[in-house]
Amino acid sequence: MDIASWLVSTVSRALAFGVPLLWGTLGEIYAERAGVVNLGVEGMMILGAFTAFAVTQSTGQPGFGLLCAAAIGGIAALVHAFMTVTLRANQYVSGLALSMFGLGLAGLLGRGWEGKPLGNPLPTLTIPGLSKIPVLGAMLFQDQTILTYLGIFLAFLLWLLLFRTRWGVAIRSVGENPGTADALGINVTLVRYLCVVFGGVLAGVGGGYLSVAYRPSWTEGMTAGMGWIVIALTIFASWDPLQAIWGAFFFGALYHLSYRLQTYLSPELLKLMPYLFAIVVLAASGFGTARHRRRAPGALGVPYVRGER
Amino acid sequence: MKRIGPFVLERKLHPSRATVFGISVLSVVVALLVAAPVFAGYGVSPWKAYEAIGRGIFGSWPSFSEVLRRAIPLILCGVGLTLAFRAQFWNIGAEGQLLAGAVAATGVALFLPVPDGLKLPLMFLFGFLAGAIWGLIPALLRVKLGVNDVISTLMLNYVMAYIVEWLVHGPWKGPTMRGFAYTDAFPLSARLSYLPATRVHWLTLVLGVVLAFIVAFVLARTKLGYEIRVVGQNPDAARYAGISFTAVLSLVMIISGGLAGLAGVGEVAGIHWRLRSPSHISMNYGYTAIIVAWLARGSPVAAIFTALLFGLIFAAGDYMKTVLGLPFQITGVFNGLILFFLIGFDLLMFWRVRFAQKEKVWTSQAGS
Amino acid sequence: MKRILSVVLAVVALGALAFSAEKIKAGFIYVGPIGDYGWSHAHDVARRIVDEKFDWLETVYVESVPEGEVETYIDQLVRQGCNVIFTTSFGFMDGTLAAAQRYPNVIFAHASGFKRWANMATYMADFYQVYYLNGLMAGALTKTGKIGYVAAFPIPEVKRHINAFTIGVRTVNPNAEVHVRWIYEWFNPAAAKEATEALIAEGCDVFAFTEDSPTVVQVAAEKGLPSFGHYSPMYDFAPDYVVSGQIVHWEKIYEDFLVKIHEGLYTNKNLAHVDYWWLLAQGAVEVGAKPGMVINPKYEEALKAKKVNVPGLGEVSVYDLVFIRLNQMADPGITYDPFQGPVYDRKGQLVVPEGMWLSYDSLITMEWAVAGVVGPWPGEP
Repeated sequence: MDIASWLVSTVSRALAFGVPLLWGTLGEIYAERAGVVNLGVEGMMILGAFTAFAVTQSTGQPGFGLLCAAAIGGIAALVHAFMTVTLRANQYVSGLALSMFGLGLAGLLGRGWEGKPLGNPLPTLTIPGLSKIPVLGAMLFQDQTILTYLGIFLAFLLWLLLFRTRWGVAIRSVGENPGTADALGINVTLVRYLCVVFGGVLAGVGGGYLSVAYRPSWTEGMTAGMGWIVIALTIFASWDPLQAIWGAFFFGALYHLSYRLQTYLSPELLKLMPYLFAIVVLAASGFGTARHRRRAPGALGVPYVRGER
Repeated sequence: MKRIGPFVLERKLHPSRATVFGISVLSVVVALLVAAPVFAGYGVSPWKAYEAIGRGIFGSWPSFSEVLRRAIPLILCGVGLTLAFRAQFWNIGAEGQLLAGAVAATGVALFLPVPDGLKLPLMFLFGFLAGAIWGLIPALLRVKLGVNDVISTLMLNYVMAYIVEWLVHGPWKGPTMRGFAYTDAFPLSARLSYLPATRVHWLTLVLGVVLAFIVAFVLARTKLGYEIRVVGQNPDAARYAGISFTAVLSLVMIISGGLAGLAGVGEVAGIHWRLRSPSHISMNYGYTAIIVAWLARGSPVAAIFTALLFGLIFAAGDYMKTVLGLPFQITGVFNGLILFFLIGFDLLMFWRVRFAQKEKVWTSQAGS
Repeated sequence: MKRILSVVLAVVALGALAFSAEKIKAGFIYVGPIGDYGWSHAHDVARRIVDEKFDWLETVYVESVPEGEVETYIDQLVRQGCNVIFTTSFGFMDGTLAAAQRYPNVIFAHASGFKRWANMATYMADFYQVYYLNGLMAGALTKTGKIGYVAAFPIPEVKRHINAFTIGVRTVNPNAEVHVRWIYEWFNPAAAKEATEALIAEGCDVFAFTEDSPTVVQVAAEKGLPSFGHYSPMYDFAPDYVVSGQIVHWEKIYEDFLVKIHEGLYTNKNLAHVDYWWLLAQGAVEVGAKPGMVINPKYEEALKAKKVNVPGLGEVSVYDLVFIRLNQMADPGITYDPFQGPVYDRKGQLVVPEGMWLSYDSLITMEWAVAGVVGPWPGEP
């Protein structure tokens, strides 16, 4: 096998597999930047996956299906926001409850939708001109859906928003020190609600990608743990949308390579490689100077009560 | 303080045990009411369903024992997690630590040539050690290299699951299993005995309860317990006081992981009598224990009861699947709802409602 | 003494009653969700077929049962009045045996295992002949000489199927290779997809697999590559690219077993040697893209065009060869078996001598890889 073929397949697959992870992670970054951990990503993704499939199957419009998936993800996240922001319930338990609930509900609703191929999946694009570039064309500009490029674009946009605008300052200060933010006149509750719901919207799209693009059909439990990987990637990316890009695609590449490399290495050991690698990378970066940048938002996981602390 | 009509809402810092219990029961009841339409949607009368579940579970000793049996791993993992959470160490890794214990116990049961009488004690010992090591790794990673504990413990779960997978497919594949990926069955000396007419491996249950009290004692009455609380509540103060984070977090995770390891020993020596695919050894006990520990509000003794609550929920789920013929996903919907209400009602515990007439402003107004 | 006797009599009468009764209540215990579109789904489809067919039969099922929990569920089904219980995963074996000993009046049947009891039979519908037939077609269709196989777990059942498939491939195309990737899961669409993509990147152009979802079929179709469906009919997922496949008919076994209980032929005393190992001849498995369609018409021409020289048959087209072999194996007096000697493993050892067939025991404990298999093979002797 020549190097070009390895490069093409690895990068191209990393992009395709990384898309739901990227969307989910970008959403979770925003929720956590505002100080709310949402462990319900798995639940929101699977609800999104089912909704996108059911709607696309019924209407023939994958775009509309994804929109509905986004809406459902947002509604699911709204429940989490209400529990954690308004009722100040424990964020970890509320998120776990959302995951259980979402997996259960999607499974219940999805009974009878299994084993049906999707007539109208989200099309893959071949970008005119660019796809003709040797190696690079096949690597980046073929066999991807619009969500790959949209996800990367979104990551840049969200980075700008978070670090270069006043809105971003508001979000970060709410996550860092809600008391100060409140004193500055920022509506802490509103910011948290918006960020959590936005996170749900992106997770819903990520889930929808699985059922209308990545593998156009519905199966019980088809997210298969991706939501938990998203939680890990959020930390891995140091709550930075740009780092989420490489985190998600890095994980996608490792996942793909764990099958590609089976000829050379024991398959069981390859299966644990992506997970071990995530720890190793974090540990290695601990030796460097970037350590302080990995710090979590100061008020992460803490409900805000006006007048306390 | 908030006034609502003639009532005053007051904030309380420390709700009484009775309040906590009462409100928890209330929240479960409300959750069951809210979930009633789900039953109706499947053509089962909700009232009859609840009655059937209640009678099914509490009706006989063998059925009730299932609650105890499902609670055993949750008690052990849950107690360990309360300790970790007290130190603000987010151990999401009880699942992997449990599996590590199961692996070590299997190694002793099948491959360590020791006298029969020593088998089980050594299985528990090595199970504890294996869980402890798997818990210690993320503790050291965090203290020494600043690796986030959520991510490292979560990733190590996957790593251990694939190690188990590798063992049962490779070096430990049982010669009597005709190529299927299971180890051979444990010898009789490596199996735990049951309470009569049940599958409750009582030794692990007793171990869990006793350890819960010991951990509670350590936490409340010892220097280590004090240090754990300081590290958790006020890291800056801990630093000024010269408390070694490395020592405290290492010890916490050795105990936390070790307890989860014991749970793993209980599962393979009590239920499976062999090592098999990881998803069938632990039914997400390690993850459920996170909720168990949280609902126990950091109290190891309370974790016994929250573990029993989840034992009950699991047993009820089994019952709904078989007797009522409901789809299995309904258990997830149910668990989710109950949890939402349990934590949603949390807020109530910290408020006290009383009549406001004692207050001057109100009496003068009321007098007019 | 008299009281004891009457109790004993009552118990015996009750036991007898359980099976002379006109009604049978059968409980089915599945390891996965019935929505997996694979193993558990197929068992449930079969359950519904027999349930509708016989008015003396009532069925209940429990899905997603963890292996270690099977006894708990059996207890509950027995309490509900089930007098026949099917447990449909190898991992349920020991639990089912223990339950069979505890409930001597209930009849048990365990799929894919090897332990039996007076009231516990075993059953299995196996695909190896079907995989061989699929292999013949795959060998004719590959242009690169590389065929991809996405496999679940390296256990004898899957290894047997890969070997039979490869023997078929090599019959038609002696230099072709079957590249194997293991995903270590019965059901994981994402893993199946990436494994398929990895095989595509390595030049494979025809696909077969063992995984409980239509993922491999869909991925191959996206790239315009032919594949073979697994377990459930998968023609609808890619009508232009599903050449053929393996389809199971568990209802044939369930029907036979339940009718024999109903007629009193099978009782809770005589099952210790009842083992269904049902193949093409009994109709428990079928070769085809969907029921009744052995070969997708789109591929008939290509298969007719490819000619091979087969000992004993002379030069025949692959299309004809498939049907000749199918008839030989579907005939009650089976006259052909894929593992017909001489068969060499990929290390060059003779595993089946000239003129011999593999015994049932060798089939179900198969660990070796036949010549032509490429890739990792955990547990290779």
